[in-house]
Amino acid sequence: MAKVVETKETKKRQEVNRIIRAEDQWEPIGATPMPEITDLRNWDMRLLKTYKPWYAPFCDLCCFCTYGKCDLTECRRGACGIDISGQQGRIILLACCMGMSAHGGHARHIIDYLIEKYGEDLKIDLGDSVAVEAPHIRTVLGLKPETLADLRTAIEYVERELVHLISSLHTGQEGSYMDYESKALHASMLDHVAMEAADIAQIVGFKFPTSVADTPLVDAGLASLDSSKPIVLVVGHNPASSTNIIDYLRENDLYDKVEIGGICCTALETTRYSDRAKIVGPLSRQLYYVRTGMADVIMTDEQCIRTDIAEEAKKVGSALIATSDKACYGLEDASERDVDEIVKEMVEEGKQFLILDHEKAGEVAVKVALKLAPKRKKELISEAEAQELAKACRECEMCERVCPNLFSIGHGIRQVAEGNFEPIREIFSQCIGCGKCEEECPRNVPIFKIMQVAASKETFKVRAGRGPIMDTEIRNVGAPIVLGTIPGVIAFVGCSNYPDIDDVAEMVEEFARRKYIVVLTGCAAMVAGMKKDENGLTVYEKYPPSFDAGGVVNVGSCVSNAHITGAAMKIANIFATLPLRGNYEVIADYILNRVGAVGVAWGAMSQKAASIGTGCNRVGIPVVLGPHSSKYRRLYLSKKGEDDWTVMDGRKAELVDTGEPSPEHLAYVTESKEKAMVLIAKLCIRKNDTPQGRAVKLNHYISLYKKYMGGGLPEDLDLYVRTDKDLPIVYKREAMAYLKEVGWKPKPVLSLPTLIGTYPSKVSLEAVIH
Amino acid sequence: MVLPLHRVNVLTGIKSAKVLEDPAEYAGWIRRAKRPLLVLGPKLAEISLNGKSLLEYALEIAKAANIPTCATAHIKGKMAELGATPDCQYDLVEIANRLNDPEWQGVRKEGNHDLVILFGMRTDMGNQALSNLKHFAPHLKTMTLCKYVYPHADYSLPNFRKDEQWKGFLENLITSLKEEK
Repeated sequence: MAKVVETKETKKRQEVNRIIRAEDQWEPIGATPMPEITDLRNWDMRLLKTYKPWYAPFCDLCCFCTYGKCDLTECRRGACGIDISGQQGRIILLACCMGMSAHGGHARHIIDYLIEKYGEDLKIDLGDSVAVEAPHIRTVLGLKPETLADLRTAIEYVERELVHLISSLHTGQEGSYMDYESKALHASMLDHVAMEAADIAQIVGFKFPTSVADTPLVDAGLASLDSSKPIVLVVGHNPASSTNIIDYLRENDLYDKVEIGGICCTALETTRYSDRAKIVGPLSRQLYYVRTGMADVIMTDEQCIRTDIAEEAKKVGSALIATSDKACYGLEDASERDVDEIVKEMVEEGKQFLILDHEKAGEVAVKVALKLAPKRKKELISEAEAQELAKACRECEMCERVCPNLFSIGHGIRQVAEGNFEPIREIFSQCIGCGKCEEECPRNVPIFKIMQVAASKETFKVRAGRGPIMDTEIRNVGAPIVLGTIPGVIAFVGCSNYPDIDDVAEMVEEFARRKYIVVLTGCAAMVAGMKKDENGLTVYEKYPPSFDAGGVVNVGSCVSNAHITGAAMKIANIFATLPLRGNYEVIADYILNRVGAVGVAWGAMSQKAASIGTGCNRVGIPVVLGPHSSKYRRLYLSKKGEDDWTVMDGRKAELVDTGEPSPEHLAYVTESKEKAMVLIAKLCIRKNDTPQGRAVKLNHYISLYKKYMGGGLPEDLDLYVRTDKDLPIVYKREAMAYLKEVGWKPKPVLSLPTLIGTYPSKVSLEAVIH
Repeated sequence: MVLPLHRVNVLTGIKSAKVLEDPAEYAGWIRRAKRPLLVLGPKLAEISLNGKSLLEYALEIAKAANIPTCATAHIKGKMAELGATPDCQYDLVEIANRLNDPEWQGVRKEGNHDLVILFGMRTDMGNQALSNLKHFAPHLKTMTLCKYVYPHADYSLPNFRKDEQWKGFLENLITSLKEEK
């Protein structure tokens, strides 16, 4: 029997070796090239031992199968045997699979599209300053991708794993919430592989910026588009079609005559392609902007698009072209039809089409916009008109009842009726743009129309997304990050909807000013630039674009998130010289114990955010979420000092009970931005910090605590002080008095803390020593 | 089953809060608890009833019934402005994480709490924390003092249409708690 198993394993390994070209000797192959579902399970269980899943069920029932509905409250099990914890883990896995497959689908599409266009041998070249081009693909698969075909190989692996993961969700499969969590971590690790493959393909295929920090500053804001020109609005994430619009404009000398603006990540992708395109705004401004009717043509691609966008476009007379097989909206497929015929029907009959030929879609969009714009009147309403419309409101509170951000919208509308526009401006900044309020209003008050008087008429500057962090930058900051003298890398990622659109910009400012490295992606990257200081500058104009202390770096779109986790991996590889190849556990362990990086998904909405965040968690990066994210229903929390914080001292090969909860949590929800900032500073603390680095980190933790928590010292300060050298000079006297009061005792300072050796693993302790 | 004001909190389940509006009954449940805990949220500093902040009401309730307080989010700073100090500081999810461990010895180290009262949270996050406790902390009862129905609590106030009703409830609750001292 043992021989049969061995043969099976040998064959499997031979197949993996073939796929990853094992004969290429660029690095030794680690323990888990192309891991399957259970290959990193022990690592997951070790993480989950400290950071236990905390569940807040959003629904007490399970309604997945026809045995149900089953009530799972008070230890009841469903007809299939599942309990409430198992069901939460199952839903989390489902969310992570959805998120991962959205990026995977994006990657698969863009890679196939570019292979069709340029051939599968198109070389991956990310410029002179990026030699470690794909840290995720190198680490997870063990493959060093050289061409588009290699990126396709990576996605094929992701697709294969996805089938097994989704399969485990079926009734009567997995029963353990811990194993569901391990699978969610696996799915989410693969999400970062998919994102990386997608963005590398985009960079080489569309010649997006790479190996450069100082990318152009592009115009942003609802008012950034010149409404006197024909406007094409692109919505979604995939740049295949929007880049074709720009190509058509360039080739036909029309770029001065047509405005291109984007909502959500397509805006970021399009401005990476052309800095003359505009960023209209984040996801939360989608419905608002569509309803203004400013867009002559709306072109959709995939992910985070309103599913009723075709109806909404029709209501305001905007033409609509869908371009993705993921979102067809029931439209006629005109991919094979003649361009002029399509244009005629769109302009004269108001028809909407699905066009899967991206080149054709680009041409149609421009031609329709040019013909339609002169016929359309595009004006925002006046304050007097808004006041009149608002008079219909009776403040019945129906709008507040359905608002996902819990606002008293009616109060703001009634104030407009009285001629006071200030409350509605405040509400607009907190509006997530779902439109439920208007739908629910019994008097049909056009709330979004009234909000036109509240929207900012200003334009802003956002730095175009720059793709991977450069190897040269990693060489410069690797040591100060790992030793702690750069206090942390803070990544503001994903959606920015909740609770207030200004929160992200405020937090970015706080940490950039304190010389953290701030990186951003997605809608968070946009809204960070949509707030000006007293001198009229945005954070992109105030702070340098380099991945260095005090830098504010727009990495790019959602799929660019992989470059943030990738930067942490590159620190392990370039600074610490740990091999990446098939070496996931070693790299994740390094990041968890030594790289003070924290993800902040403050306004997260989608399933993609669930998989992006959970992928950060598996690789050892904690994530802080905004209050509404409690609806994701699962966090990873420790119990601080009461948990076991024993690690291995790698150099001495000895177990050491550090008693230090660093990082304290892996996935955490907090209710206010003030508390979030205090927590973020704390979550940057790592066991590897030198005394000097720890003092820098504690200085910020204490200072932020004093600023936002009303003075005093953090209650848990004693847990993070190993010797008196860890204390920042400015707070030393006060802190020593506190430590004496609580009976603090010195703790060991480790030079090579690691979890390897504390749980069953194929990885030996020697593997972490560099 | 009474619908919550915010539809995001509509219960998809069977076990729902008992909605009470009699302050004496509320006071009775608080009095019956051996180790209650009052969890204070950041909304307490944002809302006032006739010029008196909700935080002041909360502190009076804590004092009247000798209930330890837990400060979540950044409410500790606001408490300091009123000269008050919380008995402990945990965020909402952290205190729920402690409360659902039966072995936890509680804020006063006298054993885990048997009643937790939430006051001043966003209703969506508050209801989610209560969901965690409903499912994973069967050893304790939960109660809310906000003017909205929280379906996942054991005892909740109704959706008060007018702040005056809420104010009246809170004042009478304080009086009842003082009387029972």
